[in-house]
Amino acid sequence: MNSIKLALRNLTRQKKRSILLASAVAFGILIVTVINGFAAAFVQNVSENFANLEAGHVFVEGVEKTASGREVSIVRDDKAIMDAAVAAKIPAKYITKRSSFEATLRNEGRSAQLAISGVDFASETFLPDRLVFKSGGLEGMQDRQGVIISEPIAKRLGVEAGDRILVQLRTYTGQQNVGEFSVAGITYDSGIIGNMSGYANKDYVNELLALSPDEYQTVGFYLPSLDGMDQYGNALYDALKDKVPVFSRDKTAEANPIRAMMEQTKKETWTGIKYRVLTLNDFLSQVQQIVNVLNTVSLIILIVLFVIIMVGITNTFRIIMFERIKEIGTMRSMGMQRGEVRNLFLFEALFIALGGAVAGLVLAGVAMGILSLVNFGMDTPIFIILKNGHLTFRLEFWRTALDIGIVAVLTLIAAYIPARNAAKLDPAVALRTTK
Amino acid sequence: MKRTRIAILAAAFVAVATLAAGAQDFKAMLKAVDEIGSFGSQDYSATYSIVSEKPGENPSLIEVKIFRRDAHDQFVLLIQKPDKQKGQGYLKIDDNVWFYDPESGNFSHSTMKENIQNSEAKNSDLKKYTFADDYDIISTASGKLGAFDVWILDLKAKNDEVSYRHIRLTIRKDKPIPLKEEDYSVSERLMRTVYYLPNYINAGGRLIPARIKIVDELNKGEQSVLTISDVSVGKLDDQVFTKAFLERAR
Repeated sequence: MNSIKLALRNLTRQKKRSILLASAVAFGILIVTVINGFAAAFVQNVSENFANLEAGHVFVEGVEKTASGREVSIVRDDKAIMDAAVAAKIPAKYITKRSSFEATLRNEGRSAQLAISGVDFASETFLPDRLVFKSGGLEGMQDRQGVIISEPIAKRLGVEAGDRILVQLRTYTGQQNVGEFSVAGITYDSGIIGNMSGYANKDYVNELLALSPDEYQTVGFYLPSLDGMDQYGNALYDALKDKVPVFSRDKTAEANPIRAMMEQTKKETWTGIKYRVLTLNDFLSQVQQIVNVLNTVSLIILIVLFVIIMVGITNTFRIIMFERIKEIGTMRSMGMQRGEVRNLFLFEALFIALGGAVAGLVLAGVAMGILSLVNFGMDTPIFIILKNGHLTFRLEFWRTALDIGIVAVLTLIAAYIPARNAAKLDPAVALRTTK
Repeated sequence: MKRTRIAILAAAFVAVATLAAGAQDFKAMLKAVDEIGSFGSQDYSATYSIVSEKPGENPSLIEVKIFRRDAHDQFVLLIQKPDKQKGQGYLKIDDNVWFYDPESGNFSHSTMKENIQNSEAKNSDLKKYTFADDYDIISTASGKLGAFDVWILDLKAKNDEVSYRHIRLTIRKDKPIPLKEEDYSVSERLMRTVYYLPNYINAGGRLIPARIKIVDELNKGEQSVLTISDVSVGKLDDQVFTKAFLERAR
């Protein structure tokens, strides 16, 4: 207890030096916390934006093999899927049934490639909130052949709301088809993904794909949040595989489930429709890899910064030891044990580390707050990592605790040798020493 | 009386014309078209120069080398020009089509429905015809195209494996050689017209058009002209129809 009190008192004796040391620690924590906060929110934002674009968190696709062995995407009867969703207790806020195709849009010699999603606007009531129109709007989708495209696509085609354009595509079995769209609305540029996507009425998309009105290609279950999507995906897979043929989900961490399922599709032969159960995390496994890289980089930065800071702390504590050599001699003469002297130095180092860490966290909070105020707008290419045009940050308790723990341990290691040397001082020699 | 005679004559004319048309075995004609475009037990190789024109752009040239062994439904397409794409190629064995990219050194699955680079021509345009296998004849008509008397056959796809569900094929009456092919989308919009220009190369006793013009009907002014040269029906090495050949070809 005495050591703690003395350590706190010693820190206040040399305020400037203590503040400088704590500032170095704070700087390290600030950098690492901001990177970690960005990485954690990065996954969340990308996942949420993808969930909006793909209209779901858990998906089921139907795959049929043609006579020549080509795979086509189709869901003809979804009773088994819906029954499985009930059995798996999927808490879906929305259930989306979409058809889609890669298309070339053409207008007077100009062309643009994009993916058109066939949407049932009556059931996907969340979609209007996600679309920010520059011109035209959802009312234009009353036209069966209406299409919503982004501003850059409209510019490339030289079209405005109300114009008619040709759409060239392949049917779900791969035959050439041509249709006509009427531009219902033009949305603000929503980054690279938005640039490549457009929305049309599902019944017209189905007609172009040569699907019947009740058929579609992918069903998406839109969950209340990102939490538990893998758990629900696995539950849906378990429930569905008892009812219909389903591609196995490779749940091992090292395998990419989508790639594993694609390999199965290539290798296997089957008749009728076989289903794939996918989650957004399966699609975004590469995003998770980016986050892992960011976390590793932040950890390396933390360690490199603290190796530098450790050198400073070691030198400072050696100076402190020499400055207090008589004081140490006096305390030792008055009965203070070697361990207590060593602990006195270590407590000082620990308090500097913890004080610096707290200050670093506060500064990181301020920095993240300021950065999240910057509005990057709706037309930024980094839209996919933003939330409503803003950077966001998310602190994970265990990650932050780990960083603080690493800082505390490194600081204690840095202070240990001077502390041990101080503890080893002979009291008589220490008292005789003149600076 | 005169009116009755005219009516009888007209009816007789229609009947004769119908009989004449009915006498034609159009299925056999379609088979003959396929056979003239197929080399059977002979191998076939040729160079195709494809000049594509698009409004507002300079014409682009693609040169590809084709190797075919129709008896085994094997096909290799090797891009020679432009230099940027040189070495890329397609290999078809039975129903499998692979695309090879020398930059990555990887093979990926592809289809014969792919366009050759940025041209109007598809890989399938360079393989043997399979009209009789893939299509049913839904209507026939007699007509004239330039100096040629022709049969005009409307064909409907038997399966979903072909690119076009409906084709209108114009065939010379004197020989089972196609002169024109109009390809329609599923929605019955004319997408492209292929003109098999009537100057021919004799390859192993088969007449193949030396030039083919493909007009994009959706984008006015866009067309590709294929000129065929270096035609040979000599035996090709079995190694040609392997992935290793594409890997070494650059």
